[in-house]
Amino acid sequence: MELATAFKRMQDRREFIKQSCSLCIGLVGLGTLAAQLSGCASLPVLKAESNNGRISVPITAFTEKGKVVIVRNAQLEYDIALVKISDSDYTALQMKCTHQDNALTATQTGLYCASHGSSFDLHGNVTQEPALAPLKKYRTEITNSSIIINTK
Amino acid sequence: MKKLLASLLVLFTLPATSQILTKEDSLSAGIIARNTATVISGYGSAKYSLETRSKIARANLDRVIVFLGHKFNNKISVFTELELEDGKVTGGEVGGEIALEQAFIKFQATKSIYLTAGLFIPRIGIINENHLPTTFNGNDRPFVETFIIPSTWRELGIGVYGNVAKLPGFNYSLALVNGLNSADFESGSGIRQGRFEGRDANASAMAVTGSLLYYIKHFRIQASGYYGGSAGLTKVEADSLQMSYGAFGTPVALAEADVQYQNKGLSVKALFTTVQIADAGAINRAYGSNTAEAMIGYYGEIGYNIFQLTKMKEKNLTIFARYELLDMNNKLPANGLFNGANDQQYIVCGLTFQPIKGVTVKADYVFRKTGDQNPALVINPFPVGPPFYKNKEFFNLGVGYSF
Repeated sequence: MELATAFKRMQDRREFIKQSCSLCIGLVGLGTLAAQLSGCASLPVLKAESNNGRISVPITAFTEKGKVVIVRNAQLEYDIALVKISDSDYTALQMKCTHQDNALTATQTGLYCASHGSSFDLHGNVTQEPALAPLKKYRTEITNSSIIINTK
Repeated sequence: MKKLLASLLVLFTLPATSQILTKEDSLSAGIIARNTATVISGYGSAKYSLETRSKIARANLDRVIVFLGHKFNNKISVFTELELEDGKVTGGEVGGEIALEQAFIKFQATKSIYLTAGLFIPRIGIINENHLPTTFNGNDRPFVETFIIPSTWRELGIGVYGNVAKLPGFNYSLALVNGLNSADFESGSGIRQGRFEGRDANASAMAVTGSLLYYIKHFRIQASGYYGGSAGLTKVEADSLQMSYGAFGTPVALAEADVQYQNKGLSVKALFTTVQIADAGAINRAYGSNTAEAMIGYYGEIGYNIFQLTKMKEKNLTIFARYELLDMNNKLPANGLFNGANDQQYIVCGLTFQPIKGVTVKADYVFRKTGDQNPALVINPFPVGPPFYKNKEFFNLGVGYSF
């Protein structure tokens, strides 16, 4: 009797594992499809030093198709999403959700909070609540070969 | 009087760095130079609902939540949410609920990783974490994420949340929380009544839950799972009830996957979930709850913000439609009884209007279709009890806010 129960439980677990695996395979498939569609799954991450609150990012950090570079600095609590609006216009956004301070995730199309679903466009405006306030912007300057982000 | 004086003394002797601000201009907006801040915010919703067949209407203050958070420094914060459901709670009367929805401390370990400890909401499904009335269409939260995934599902435990630095867009979570109480499972609401929600949880039963979440372009793709015990019994109790006990005894497993797309006013959501309770037969033998071995549910929703066609793109008037299926008899143990009333389909359609961010006015129509009710499970048949109809329609009007 106990053997039969154990066998049944094993079958049930197998079924659950089978269903879960099907789900995962489906998700991986969707992810792969989406990655194929985007042609670029990840964003460039640039570790940059700060010089008196000024972070220099070489213009070459932007690839031909990409318009977002993530800038990481050890002194800053949050990463910065540096967005190329045009050749003469760059926006530096603090990657901190204005809802509950969680670090944001960036893609080529926007910034997203994994915790509560808030999203922002590449100008820092809220596109999905619960966040209500736009993202903090840092001032930027363009030199011959780089973009300077002023974090002070 | 002494208490009042003590309170005033505390207030006037607070450190100069402490402030009470609204969320928009305080720690969330990051405009204050100091590292500490206290935040007050909240959300709420009220609804008028008309059931067309009986012409019975109901108005209810569904919920009001007050959020209070404090940032001790850049690494440590506390988050609390106190919820009142259904307007009021009166001693000795059924109805209404006052509960803590969240109360946890967050430790920011690195830029990419943080830990939570206390009463928190694990990342399972869409609504569980994102349940503010301004973030979903319709007055009611999706039924699949109410009865199959028992949102809002919070338990006591510890969790780790993070993102992968080398793969922007990729997030994960893993948590260890107290398990469920299978003694309270009910046919028709799945595992919902088995949640402890922070009240004297039997932590002899434990659960592990985790999620993988990936943002790519306008897609949000997630998979999450839960596996935990539901019988925190002693050996003597478990033997007497013929149930498996221990941390993962009488296990409940839940798997979920969802995809969301949002771009230029168009929003699409799809979610699939399944709950598996291998020992449902033992639970029924012990508690007579007619628990199912397997339940599945899924829904799909499409919406479009009409204001995207105008210059007022910051406003929101979304027209939406959602189809939901709940199969709560998907697999029954030998001692389970099929109840068609637990096989449900919903069509929900309506409008979500937001004159400004943080405020929503909702109007929707709900059509619910079920199978036949099993008469063997009806304790008070009609006319002693209310009549059962397989098809029901509701018109709902509601308001909500979040700040």
